[in-house]
Amino acid sequence: MVKVYSISNCPWCEKVKKYLKLKNIEYQEINVEGNQEATDELYKISGDEIVPVTTIDGKNYVVSFDKEKLDALLGL
Amino acid sequence: MGIYDFKVKLNSGIEKELSEYKGQVLLIVNTASKCGFTPQYAELQELYMKYKEKGLTILGFPSNQFADQEPGSAQEIEQFCRVNYGVTFPVFAKEDVRGENAQPLFKYLVEQKGFKGFDETHPNAQGLMNALKQKFPEFLEGDSIKWNFTKFLINRQGEVVGRYEPTTTPMSMTGDIEKLL
Repeated sequence: MVKVYSISNCPWCEKVKKYLKLKNIEYQEINVEGNQEATDELYKISGDEIVPVTTIDGKNYVVSFDKEKLDALLGL
Repeated sequence: MGIYDFKVKLNSGIEKELSEYKGQVLLIVNTASKCGFTPQYAELQELYMKYKEKGLTILGFPSNQFADQEPGSAQEIEQFCRVNYGVTFPVFAKEDVRGENAQPLFKYLVEQKGFKGFDETHPNAQGLMNALKQKFPEFLEGDSIKWNFTKFLINRQGEVVGRYEPTTTPMSMTGDIEKLL
């Protein structure tokens, strides 16, 4: 399952979600704001506390809205 | 009315009294949002780590009254947002820092220390001045907060002893801070 780590009012997070929808990719959004457990999870994956982070397996991930990297990650 | 008479609001909506910080050196800053190009956050965090044991506390007050960026850095917006602003000092709820609806603390701060101009030697000073003249000429009037990262230094007695414009980098304030610690 594709996961998108996000916060509210984050234009880049919205772009990633819109793009995934456009490509008909199901994803789970995890808003980490005020959620320490989810923030820790995000940190474990990316080593930082920045969003959006898109991951497919919790190991390989893409920071920000980077179409090329997202396509590569998702095999598009 | 002194600095310790003010109450400020946390993100959770809970109010905190500034009297809780009595006896510490305070650096009060109006900060930008979580999504802009804002290296001053990193420098503020560095200052905080360096001096917090000696009694420095930094208090951040985000507002969305300015574009989400450092002064003059119009094109270089980072394409991501920080979950916790990337800092460990307290950051309070987003509220106005200028204009009629400015939070009382900032009305007080600008009364205590007026605007004395930008540091012309900062590489972004000219860019900031031009941007203000073109887009927000009213911001240049009076002592109001001009842009993100205006900094006020408060001594251990609660007196506002310094105002530093966005064109003064946090690290260049170390001498003034050390004198108060």
